[in-house]
This record gives sequence, structure tokens and C-alpha cells, in this order.
Amino acid sequence: MTAMIEVESLTKSYGSKRGIADVSFRVEEGDVFGFLGPNGAGKTTTIRLLMALLHADAGSARIAGLDCWKQSLEIKRLIGYMPGEPALDPDLTGGQILEYFAHLRGGVDQAYLKQLVERFELDTSRKFRQYSTGNKRKVVLIQAFMHRPRLLVLDEPTSGLDPLNQQEFDRMVKDARDEGRTVFLSSHVLSEVEKTCNRVGIIRDGTLVRIGDVAEVKAIKRYEITITFANVVPADSFKSLDGVLEVEALNHGQGVRLTMQGPADAVIKAAARHPVVSLTSYEPSLEDIFLRYYEGDGPRAAEAHHVA
Amino acid sequence: MSLSSVFLKTLRDYRIPILGWGIGMGLVVVSPMASVATLVTTPEARAQLASLAATFAWNADPVAVTTIGGYATFKIGVFIFLIVVWPILAASRMLRGEEDRGSLDLLLSLPRPRLRVALEKLAAMWTALLAMGLLIGLIVFAGGRQFGADFVLGDALLFGLDLALICAVFGGLSLLISQFTQERGPAAGATAGLLLIFIVLDMVHRIAPNSEWISRLSPIYYYNLSKALIPSYGVNPGAMLLLAVAAIGLGGIAVWLFNRRDVGGTVSLPRWLRLPERQASRVLPVGDWSLRSVYARSLSKIAMPTFWWTLGIAGFAGWMVYAVQLLETKMSTLLSGNAGFTQLIKNIGGGDASLNAGLLSAMFVFLPLFLMAFAVTQVIGWAADEQDGRLELVLATPQPRLSVLLGRFAALASATIAIAAITLLVCAGSAAASGLQLNGGNLAAAILGTIPLGLLVAGIGYLASGWLRSAADTGLLSFLLAFWFFVSFIGPELNLPDVTLRLSPFYYYGSPLLNGFQLASILGIIAVGTVALALGAVRFVRKDIGV
Repeated sequence: MTAMIEVESLTKSYGSKRGIADVSFRVEEGDVFGFLGPNGAGKTTTIRLLMALLHADAGSARIAGLDCWKQSLEIKRLIGYMPGEPALDPDLTGGQILEYFAHLRGGVDQAYLKQLVERFELDTSRKFRQYSTGNKRKVVLIQAFMHRPRLLVLDEPTSGLDPLNQQEFDRMVKDARDEGRTVFLSSHVLSEVEKTCNRVGIIRDGTLVRIGDVAEVKAIKRYEITITFANVVPADSFKSLDGVLEVEALNHGQGVRLTMQGPADAVIKAAARHPVVSLTSYEPSLEDIFLRYYEGDGPRAAEAHHVA
Repeated sequence: MSLSSVFLKTLRDYRIPILGWGIGMGLVVVSPMASVATLVTTPEARAQLASLAATFAWNADPVAVTTIGGYATFKIGVFIFLIVVWPILAASRMLRGEEDRGSLDLLLSLPRPRLRVALEKLAAMWTALLAMGLLIGLIVFAGGRQFGADFVLGDALLFGLDLALICAVFGGLSLLISQFTQERGPAAGATAGLLLIFIVLDMVHRIAPNSEWISRLSPIYYYNLSKALIPSYGVNPGAMLLLAVAAIGLGGIAVWLFNRRDVGGTVSLPRWLRLPERQASRVLPVGDWSLRSVYARSLSKIAMPTFWWTLGIAGFAGWMVYAVQLLETKMSTLLSGNAGFTQLIKNIGGGDASLNAGLLSAMFVFLPLFLMAFAVTQVIGWAADEQDGRLELVLATPQPRLSVLLGRFAALASATIAIAAITLLVCAGSAAASGLQLNGGNLAAAILGTIPLGLLVAGIGYLASGWLRSAADTGLLSFLLAFWFFVSFIGPELNLPDVTLRLSPFYYYGSPLLNGFQLASILGIIAVGTVALALGAVRFVRKDIGV
């Protein structure tokens, strides 16, 4: 396969502030690559280096074989970009913004652009300042897709979109993938990346800690189940069940909080033997997962370095 | 402690403006004191100065101009527009600016009445203005003592209070207008436009007989009724009370309206004034010319401010031409054969006392200043755009960074040229209509010669924004403008060395209305501007965006 993105020992620091250090990865053409990391991990810095908005202190980044800094103009013809915090001229309408960027890109297929506007049901007559957060992201998303780029670079693209528009976004990514285009998207939501991407890189504290197929990421995915019972139920009875990693007793023995990995079948069956008042499942944030998975310098951290 | 209430937090935010504007304006008032002390050493010189001041009566009342306090009061008459800039900007930011940024939502989510929040902010601005007035008063008193003025501390403090009151009036006006606008910019712009109109209204009664009733419509008229630095004239308590009532009234109405409207919205207008309901649409503006390039978009963006600045600058210049015609006869009598007058006019822009051209040259020194101020207001948007992330998506398109920067500069240059060209047409028309004889070539040189100065400021602005954030860029450019104007306007009276005077671009602008186009000087300004722009472009092409 041909590499669409090749990053080698990329380093960027902002003086005393954190940046990224020695980041290397490769995204093949046609991949949908998820770039995962908690807030402040270095996702946006990496993306802004790819977009030649920042100049690397060391290392190299290439897109379609072209140097991201030296040949940025040629690269930008290939890319559709969506920044994490879209800021646009507040006095322009959504329609004006799309037409302006269409011109800056040297023209786009107007029929396709109209199709995207319809698809996202965007009211193009409102000023950017008057849009809700979700509608602002729709405008920026449409401008990223409107010239059918070979590579889509999307920084937390679904943040602020409602579930219906998230589904529409998923379909657009799938369409792009079916057409052989490459998608590089960042996120801090594990399940989103799991659903959309085929390959994943995980960055933390400016360092790439894991890269591989999406199935590999499932190895670190955990979730929590909290069960409240009508009576006292011994928490220890859940300890040995399949998928249970940790057990914590709640409400003086009338509830348990379970840290889970894998199917919950055994837990549900065990809980059903008792009168259940409520059962909730919660997927912790990536920060929480990382705090647990990569805490200290223990074996888990060592494993992470080994994999990276 | 300083964060324990909205009042103290807002006052804390104003601490640098209090010191900067207070000390800066204090020094502006003191500067003429130094010059008058050296100018009026003989009875003849006093008589000359009094007569000359009478010819400039369109600008300020020439009362006791041969005294230290009287001359300072007369000389700073023209600075009123400079002094009220801060309250206009601060008041437009106070509520509307915070709504724009979304920071007011959080503040109003606290268990604190909205009315109280607004009142505390307004009180903080008034306190800041009083503090500025106090600082100005103390500096003026110290300056007066230094140069042997006859006013006492109480007079100087009353002078500062009068300034604070007029500032509070325009602050209140800006705050009121901001209740009707979606953004703070148009509120500040509209108030600045009204300020210009009020300045002209105040001037009317000094030019045209029986027109005092027109000037009474201007708050500046009431500000000028008090001349605290002239003990024999004193203050007008009624006028000061009126200003205080106007400030409280305007601020009070603004706060009342704010308390009743939606946060982020505007005051509801009567149905007949409202725009028609907007229908949702999915139409794309395919044929819009203003979206075809960075240059076209930038030009479209600055079209409205350019219109207002053109109105102000061309209106001012046209009015000056007309005013000179009104004063021409009087000038001819007063200036003939008087070397002292000739020298003084030279100091403020002339080069020869050839009557109307000489006087007009003195007035036209403000034209490059205004055009440079216009350039400052526009070029600071560049740093703000980068800081706020608005350049990020533009630079993600296949547009070279250099093209983006030059597109913006070209739009600003086009606007600057348009303002100068229209001003020239208005002046030529005004001269023709009033029958004032002017050398057409020199008039063109005087007005079109301001263009390189505007572009010089733009070039320096683009260069500075390569390193500085928006606020610092604004501060630097404003400081440079004030410094240059101070050096050229006050410097000769302070006998500053020639090498210092040469630091100001106004020096190279010279007196084109009298001496014609100074090609070498203008080329020098263009060269410096080009170097600044080139360095700014090199920096922008290489720098990290938004860092």
C-alpha cells in the first residue's frame, strides 16, 4: 500500500508548554485513521504540523510523498481540513463562507456542494455568529468535504454535532472510505473511533503510546456497570465473573460498581438472581482510561512503550 | 481582594488604561505650558499670540491665551477627540463586548442580579474616569507649578473632573448605542461618528454668528464652558452638572435597557423599524464578487469602516477649506508683516504665512494623522484574526501565506487611496464653491501625500503583528502615532533637536500645501513602509500561526 501520511520523529515544543516529542506513524492511502488522546495530549499540535500551520522543531512529516512545510501548497490541494475550534468571519453567512472557501480552493463542483448543504440541512442564510455550535461545525465540515479531497484531516469532527448529524458524518466518512479516500481524524472518544476507523494511534503527554488496528485498542477499553439492589448483595460474588476487573461495594452492600472489560453476560445473569432496582452502564472518558491503564511506571506502562 | 466583586474586577481590568491615559493625557496638557513659557516673553509677543489665537477661534475659545493655563486650555481644544476615545471603546466592550465573547453568560449565571452586574461595571468605568481625571489634574498642577502658572490645585482637579465628565457622557452614549447593536464595533463606530458631529456642532458658533443654539446641542459645548485652568474664568457649575446628569442619564438608560433585553440580543425596535423576518434558505451566493479572493473579501470587509472614515476625513477637510474662506479676510489683516505669527504657524505645519494656504496647511496636519489612525484601526484586525484563529482555515486552502497577507494589505491600501482621493475631490469642490483660491497641485500633494503615511503605519502594523498579540500591536501603533504627533506638533515649541524631529514621519510629510510635492521625502516614507511590509511578510511566511 502507498503511504498517505508519513511522520518521522516529529517534535514541537512551545517553550515551557507541552507539545509533541518524537512522534512517528504512517497512514496508508484509503485508511480511516483515528488519532486518540486525552485533552492536551498533542493531537491538535500534530494536525497543525501536518497542515503547515506550525513549523516542526525536529523530524519530518510528509503527505502523499510531499514535505508538509516545504510543499505545503501542493499538499493543501489534496486536503480537506476541519479545525478543532472553527473560527470564521462572524459577519459572513454560512453560504458566503462556503462560496468564499470554494473560490480559495480554485472552484468546486457546485452541485456536490448543494448536495452537502441539503444533506446536513444547513440554513445558509444565517450569519456565522448566529449559528449554534452544531451548525457552525456543519459549515466547517461541509467546507472540508466540498472539494472531494484525497485526504480529510478532521480535528474532533463530531464534537458539538447532534446524534442525527453524527450519523450523517459517519455515513460521509464511510462514503469517503468506499471511494478510496483517506481520513485522519482526532478524537478523545474511544467508542467513536472504534466505530469509524480501521486504524488507531494513541497519543498521551505528547508521545505516541500505541498504534495499530482498531481491534488492538479494544484491549484497553473498559467500562463501568453500577447496579443497585433492593437487598444487601455480597460484592465478592461478582469478583470471579468473566469480564470483571474490579468490584466496589456501594450503599452499605445494596449496590456494586464493576469495572468491566469484554461482554457483560455473566454479570447480567448474576445480577438477575437478586431484586435489581437499577442498572447503569458508563463508558469512562479517555482520560480516566488512561489514568488507570498508564498509571505509574508499572507493567501496563511498560507494555505501552513496548507496543509503541 | 481585587477579584471579590464585579466592580473591583472591572476596575482591576482598567488599571493600565487609568495609568496610561491618565499620565499620557496629563503630559499632553502640560506640553503647551512649556512652549508658552518660552513664547510669551515680551508684551509684543503676548499681543501677537492673542491675535493669532483669535484666528484659530474656530477650534477653541481664545480666552487668556497669554497665561499658562489659558494657552494650555486653548491648545488642547483639538485633543478632545483623543481623550474620549478610551471611554467610547471601554463602554462598547463593557456589556456588548463581553456578550460577543460569551463571557457574560457565565457571569450572569451567578446568583447576582443582572442589574447589579451592569451597575457595578458602569460604576467601575466612572471610577476609572475619575481616577484618570485625578491623575491628569495632579500632573497638570505639577506642570503648572513648574512653569509658573497662576492656577491652584483645586483648579487643576476641577479641570480633570470636567474631562472625566465629558468622557463619562461619551462612555454612556457608547454604552447606550451598544444596546441596539449585535457587536461592539458598530457601537464604538457610531459613537465616534457622533463625536465628530458634536465637535463640528461645537465649532459652528465660533464661525457663524447667531448660531449658538446649534452648538448647545453638543455636549462638548458644555465641556468648553468650564475653563478651570483660567482662574479669572473659572468653571461653570451648571454646565458640569448638566454633563454629570447626561452621563448618569445615558448610562442609566443603557443599564435599564440591558436589564430588559435578551443577553446576546438587542433592544427590540418598534415593528415598523424592524427588518423583515428572514426565511431559512439553502441558496448559495454563487455570483458574489466579494468572495472571489482574499483581496476582494478584505475590501468588502473594510468597506463600511472606510465609508465612515471617508465621511469624517473628507468632511473635516472640506469644512476646513470652507472655514478658512470665512476667516480669510481676518487672517489677511492679522498676519501681514508679522514675523511672530509666521513662526508659530510654521511650528504647526506651515512654512510660510501666505494666508489661506498657510492656515489651511496648519489645519491639514490632521489629515495624515486621521489617515494613519484609520490604518491603525484596520491593521490591528490582522493580529486579531490570527489570534482568534480566523486565519487557520484560510491558510489551510492552497493560498500562499504571502498572497493572503498581501491581499489584506492591498485592500487596506485601496481603501486608503479611496479616502484620500475622495477627500481631494471634496476639498476641491469646497474651495470652488466657497471661492477660496488654492494651488490645485499643492492641494493634491497635501492630500494624496498622506497615502504613504497611512501605508507606512500599515506596514509597521503587519511587521509588529508577527510577534505581538492584538492588544500589544494596538498599543504599540497607538503609542507610535501619539509619539510622532507629539514630536511634530509640540516638539518645535519645545525646541527639540532636529534629529528628534526627524524621527516622525510628519517631518517628511512637510507642508505640501505650501511647498508642493516633496518627492524625496515621500519616496523615503514609501521605502521605510515597504521594508516594514517586506519584513512583516517574511516573518508571517515563516511563523507558527496562532501561537
